[in-house]
Amino acid sequence: MSKSKKTEPGYQQITRRRFVQLSTATTAILMGEAAFPRTSWSADRNILRIRLYSDILNLDPAFIKSKNEDIVNGCTQNKLIAFKPGNKWEWGLQAAEYMKQVSPTRIEFKLKEGIMFSGGFGEMTTEDVKYSYERIADPKTKSPYVSDWSLMEKIEIIDKYKGAIVLSKPFAPLWMTSLPGSSGTIVSKKAMMSVGEKFTTAPPTFSGPYMIKEWKAKQVTVLVQNPAWTGPKPEFKEIQFYPIDDEKTAEIGFEAGDLDFTRISVSSYEMFKTNPVENSNVVNKPSLYYSWLGINAENPVTKDIRVRKAVQMAVDINDVLEAAYFGMAKPATGIIPPGLIGHREKTINPPKANPAGAKKLLAEAGYPDGLDLTLDCLNKTTIITQAQVIQSSLAEAGIRLKVNVHESGQFWVLGSEKEMKEKVKNIQLITNRFSSQPDPYWYTMWFVTEQVGVWNWERFSNAEFDKLHAEAAIEVDPAKRDKMYQRMQDLMEESGCYRFITHESAPTIYRNSIIPAMDPEGVPIVRHFKKA
Amino acid sequence: MNEVNTKPLKERSATRNLVSHLMKDRLAIIGLILVILVTSSAILAPMIVPHNPNKINVRNRLKGPSVENWLGTDQLGRDVFSRVIVGSRIALQVALVSIAIAGSCGLLLGMMAGYGSKKLDGILIILFDTIRSFPTIMFALAVVTLVGPSLNTIILVVIVTSIPVYGRIVRTQTQALKHNEFILAEKAMGASKLRILGVHILPNVIGPLLIIASMDIPVVVTIEAGLSFLGLGVRPPTASWGSILNDGYAFIRNTPWLVIAGGAPLILTTLGFTFFGEALRDVFDPKLRQEVL
Amino acid sequence: MTYYLIKRLGVAAITVVLAVSLLYGMIHAVPGDPLSVILGPRATPEMKAELNKRMGLDKPFVIQLGTFFVNVLQGDLGIDVFSEKSVSEIFFGQLPFTVSLIFLAIGWSALLGIPLGCYSAVRRNTLIDKLTGVFSVGTIAIPSFVVALYSLLIFAVWLKWLPAIGAGKEGDFMDRLSHLLLPSFAVGLGWVGYLARLVRASMLEVLGENHIRTARAFGLKESTIVLGYALRLAILPTVALLGVGIGNMLSGAVFAEIVFARPGVGKLIYDSVITRNYPLVMGSVIMTTILFVLFTTVADLISAFLDPRIRENL
Repeated sequence: MSKSKKTEPGYQQITRRRFVQLSTATTAILMGEAAFPRTSWSADRNILRIRLYSDILNLDPAFIKSKNEDIVNGCTQNKLIAFKPGNKWEWGLQAAEYMKQVSPTRIEFKLKEGIMFSGGFGEMTTEDVKYSYERIADPKTKSPYVSDWSLMEKIEIIDKYKGAIVLSKPFAPLWMTSLPGSSGTIVSKKAMMSVGEKFTTAPPTFSGPYMIKEWKAKQVTVLVQNPAWTGPKPEFKEIQFYPIDDEKTAEIGFEAGDLDFTRISVSSYEMFKTNPVENSNVVNKPSLYYSWLGINAENPVTKDIRVRKAVQMAVDINDVLEAAYFGMAKPATGIIPPGLIGHREKTINPPKANPAGAKKLLAEAGYPDGLDLTLDCLNKTTIITQAQVIQSSLAEAGIRLKVNVHESGQFWVLGSEKEMKEKVKNIQLITNRFSSQPDPYWYTMWFVTEQVGVWNWERFSNAEFDKLHAEAAIEVDPAKRDKMYQRMQDLMEESGCYRFITHESAPTIYRNSIIPAMDPEGVPIVRHFKKA
Repeated sequence: MNEVNTKPLKERSATRNLVSHLMKDRLAIIGLILVILVTSSAILAPMIVPHNPNKINVRNRLKGPSVENWLGTDQLGRDVFSRVIVGSRIALQVALVSIAIAGSCGLLLGMMAGYGSKKLDGILIILFDTIRSFPTIMFALAVVTLVGPSLNTIILVVIVTSIPVYGRIVRTQTQALKHNEFILAEKAMGASKLRILGVHILPNVIGPLLIIASMDIPVVVTIEAGLSFLGLGVRPPTASWGSILNDGYAFIRNTPWLVIAGGAPLILTTLGFTFFGEALRDVFDPKLRQEVL
Repeated sequence: MTYYLIKRLGVAAITVVLAVSLLYGMIHAVPGDPLSVILGPRATPEMKAELNKRMGLDKPFVIQLGTFFVNVLQGDLGIDVFSEKSVSEIFFGQLPFTVSLIFLAIGWSALLGIPLGCYSAVRRNTLIDKLTGVFSVGTIAIPSFVVALYSLLIFAVWLKWLPAIGAGKEGDFMDRLSHLLLPSFAVGLGWVGYLARLVRASMLEVLGENHIRTARAFGLKESTIVLGYALRLAILPTVALLGVGIGNMLSGAVFAEIVFARPGVGKLIYDSVITRNYPLVMGSVIMTTILFVLFTTVADLISAFLDPRIRENL
């Protein structure tokens, strides 16, 4: 027997015995893993692990790609002022010792003395502030955030620490967006010059309490304490940011003990509340998102305002929210969320549907037997669920809706004249959502006539709206601004082009061992996280 | 064998062969039952659904199986069992049409590649590998742009991506058979290429192909699920097993039943067609045919 | 043999060129632009025009394609429009993770599938055979993303035997391995069934052949026959299938990479197609095509090596 085995070249010795051996070995490895304790969260409370919904692409404030980069920069860099954690949108001083609005177009500031940039790049001075903000405003830089600083004429240098922001026109959003937002991040002029004024994932220097130790693509971004930081000692030895796309994976990661803080999905919120993970808390915050059902003003069928108003009336917002957001989100009264100037108290059309009224209008418009319409939407589960409820709502009013689901590449150019040319007129109904910085200016700017064929996919064009938008940007009286933005949303609804859905919600889970700090929409301000 | 059979070998019809072989193979019987079950569900779908598969009832969402809803409800409160029945239509339509067409083309091309000239083989290999190395998602996107999202798009995508797979397997088998002494003998006797391919090679390569093809039904549905995931699948609210799976995955933390409801019919269909397919192969396989007698 | 090799490589090269050109054509036929996807309304028409120019998209199609190939031959796969890093750096940074995932997945499927198939063939029509049949086919039918998520839930959350997310610490082999076990299992499980059934079928055919009967008649032990003759010839279609499998595993890897939050090439390509990140798509696909064609060529060569009948014909 052994003789013939030896003479046969190259065959496999998979006998029954060997198979058993192999499987025992595998089991042993698996059991062995269980025998050696894994480093779970309880082992090291000096390390903070946070989930980001996507990976860091570009940390340069002039070119950041998503909120995640601002979260990281919030720990490693400084702004003159920054948002305070809590439930209201308020800012507090950060790098600035004081900020004074001396006139509608002039803000004087003084930097705190002794803020150092790591790597030997010296102290933070007004030069750096001037460089950082003017750079974004400079059209040659080609920053997507140029509009944050476009009304700034220049940054005047008074002395090493004192300067002034000089505006060409009053710009109300400056205090709530440009300054405490990502575009208010101060970079070191010297350091930027040393890297040719460009960097992506490796900033040349850090002025905040933490600094980046390493960034491994699609795996982790690791922060450690910044030796150049002269302020109060940072709370954690190390902060690890994990990019995890899928919310379920993030939730499982939290349950398995691999994360300390993460957003969860609305559908899981109830489950976490009734079956809590030990030593954790769930919290639900409103968000700055606004989602809406848009109706094209220039499509051959929906250009009739009666058809549009019928659609507005026929959609039941409560049903949509119950189904898609598990009852955790409230109906929106417009595009501006609660807590901001310009938030409307209620809509013209109540959230509840009025199918009878819709049918009447349709009959008037020449569709006594109902009509066929199409809805375009993005391929996310929540959005598709929303679309199906809208479909069912509209059916009660005699509207037969066909739902076209699109993946992101296709969806985000549906209304763009440049990509789709004439096809933009084919859109009839479309669900969309966006988020902005906490000032109403950034909300209404996408619905002006100029944006038709760019980002105004409903092709809504109203001269009064355009005028109010321009005026409200430079109006400094908050009460007056409030009225103007409310009126703008009235105009949007009256046009029949918009049925506002919701501002969504942002449920989060975190360990008892940490005290998180979040802004009013649940975005973590990691710099202020503390150990419990 | 108990019955005494006096008829000469050639005269026993293939059908009798098939039937007597099947009766002995319990798996084949189970396979047949499952195939009949799924096929009749697909044909009779609108008549046998207990509830309207598209009726939304949000208050009753994501519940497990109950007397009212045998497989529970989905995230919009729709009856999952009804959706599964309706889904069988789409699953079978897509699977049978695309696998049949892709299988035939793959068989033909594979035999040509394996048996024909080196040049032909070279060209076909290039064709196969080009298509196979293509990211399916890109191809699906392009087709949807040109043709629009519909069942036919899914079928087209599945066909194009399956042909190279079948083709390659048939090619390898054909290549191995090409040098079989029996074939060489036939060639020496002057048999035409067509005869050799049709009578000698075909029955031998069709076996593995049938097995792979019948096991491909879940692959087809998973492709459909993946396309639904991207929004390139059937339009909502149409129920397909792929979209049920997709929804099930999205709400897997809330209830395991959606995924089970999408996956179980898939498993049963695959089992049915695979075992039935294997039984068919056993009948066509000349070596085994002799054994049966 | 050398001539065959050269010929196969030539064929491989043509395949790569064809596939990539086709891809290029398709990308441009499909609507969408990367800035709109990533930046949304922040993307102004001027920025989009600027990016188009930088990516060379404003030139005629043929020139774009030609420039791309010329660059590739010089080793330049292009620059990612978002992170401004070279595509090679990004791609090769992600590649090892997917390669290890796929190899371990093949390992799982071979480890479980081949013995299963052998055993079924040898014990044909017994209860064991039937049960393994049901098991094999059943596992094929379960979608890999379901397997992935359930194994994550069972082994990482409930049992806490294995880690949940990521690829593990760099340089720590055991840590990397423990992070690979579940994802590779999820990807490989579907192939266990295929392999088992295929090995079973091939072995059944071979076991019925003349030279096997002769060996039996000579009194050789069944185990010798199975291992010595039959298994070797049954490996042939298996190798062919594995050649096919690698391509499919790349798509399967996407799910594992999403569910387990692992870095990898599968997800890289998927994401870059969805965001219309053209340079990244083109660079990644040309590399995966090259690797894929390489693998199938190797599979072909192994088949030729193992089956003397094919080898003789070269």
